[in-house]
Amino acid sequence: MTDTLSDTSHDIDDPHFEIESVGHEHLPTNTGVSNEKLGMWVFLGSECLMFGGLISTYMLYKNRPNGIELVRGRALGGSPIRPSALFDIPFTSVTSFVLLASSLTMVLAVNAAARNDMQRMRIWLGSTAALGSLFIGGQVYEFTSFHREGLGFTSNVASSAFFTLTGFHGVHVTIGILMLLITIALSLRGRIPHSRAEAIEIVGLYWHFVDVVWILIFTVVYLIK
Amino acid sequence: MAAITATEAHGSDAHGAEHPSDLIYWKVFFVLVALTGLEVSTYWWPHSWHKVTAALLIVMMVIKFATVGLYFMHLKTDAKILKRVFFAGIFLAVAVYVAALGAMVFFHDSGTAVQGVTGFNDPPQVKPLPPPATDPPPIIKPATGH
Repeated sequence: MTDTLSDTSHDIDDPHFEIESVGHEHLPTNTGVSNEKLGMWVFLGSECLMFGGLISTYMLYKNRPNGIELVRGRALGGSPIRPSALFDIPFTSVTSFVLLASSLTMVLAVNAAARNDMQRMRIWLGSTAALGSLFIGGQVYEFTSFHREGLGFTSNVASSAFFTLTGFHGVHVTIGILMLLITIALSLRGRIPHSRAEAIEIVGLYWHFVDVVWILIFTVVYLIK
Repeated sequence: MAAITATEAHGSDAHGAEHPSDLIYWKVFFVLVALTGLEVSTYWWPHSWHKVTAALLIVMMVIKFATVGLYFMHLKTDAKILKRVFFAGIFLAVAVYVAALGAMVFFHDSGTAVQGVTGFNDPPQVKPLPPPATDPPPIIKPATGH
């Protein structure tokens, strides 16, 4: 960085001089990081607000399955079952370990891409997608068992908040799996050369974010009584 | 501009900076697994410990969150601007929703409600219907003599 700043080979009147002088040669941006990576971080920052809203809503309603039962003195019905009464903590713990392991395989894929070891990168990306699919399978099983117990999306406000929160997270994981599969396909076709290895890191950022959101959900929703 | 961005980009690994080795990632993973195991074990702790358990769970959650962010997402070695962008989102979310939950009397819930204060999602109180209004007595206009 110091070298590029002190580089006097540029023409000072050149309008591109400032941009080129502040960053790496490959990153002609005035922040020093690529726009794609910065864009992903801005997106993840905004996602914090969305998941914050969903988690807060669940916290408000989790113990009030009948919170809107009486409206103008009229009972609306609904199920009095709380989602927390149906939690299977050992099962959810296993799926949490699976998602945590997928973060490890993802970061190993990023490292392999940085070393230009594309074969190993594809193996790790495939492992990440497989672990993510296992997590989604676990979530589908959990939702199905809740439904069998009589707790559906519209059973009560607590169940609506629970299914919205965990469902949104599941959708994010599913999108992440699709991104991983597309990345593997592009890599197999030679469309991700070593010079574009940052694309793997950007996909990885999204995947790790999905993991940290689950860290919050697992603690706040499942473990804190 | 050049001086600011030079500082911001210090340590950027976008092209060429060092990432931790695979071994470091495995070690971080095992730390996370151990923390998760401890978290899960709290589910079977006595219910009377629930306040300590909740505090411990929140601490472990923050540690896990920070560990994944710093190591797996490379915030530890990446450009500071990325850290600022992400943490701005987190702090904004925490501030907004703590304020919102406070406004909805969330923190006074669980049997410690303030006397006379109703939580946002408490069932609405059903008030007895007011008695039907009786018709006012008819107004009799006095005769004007015409």
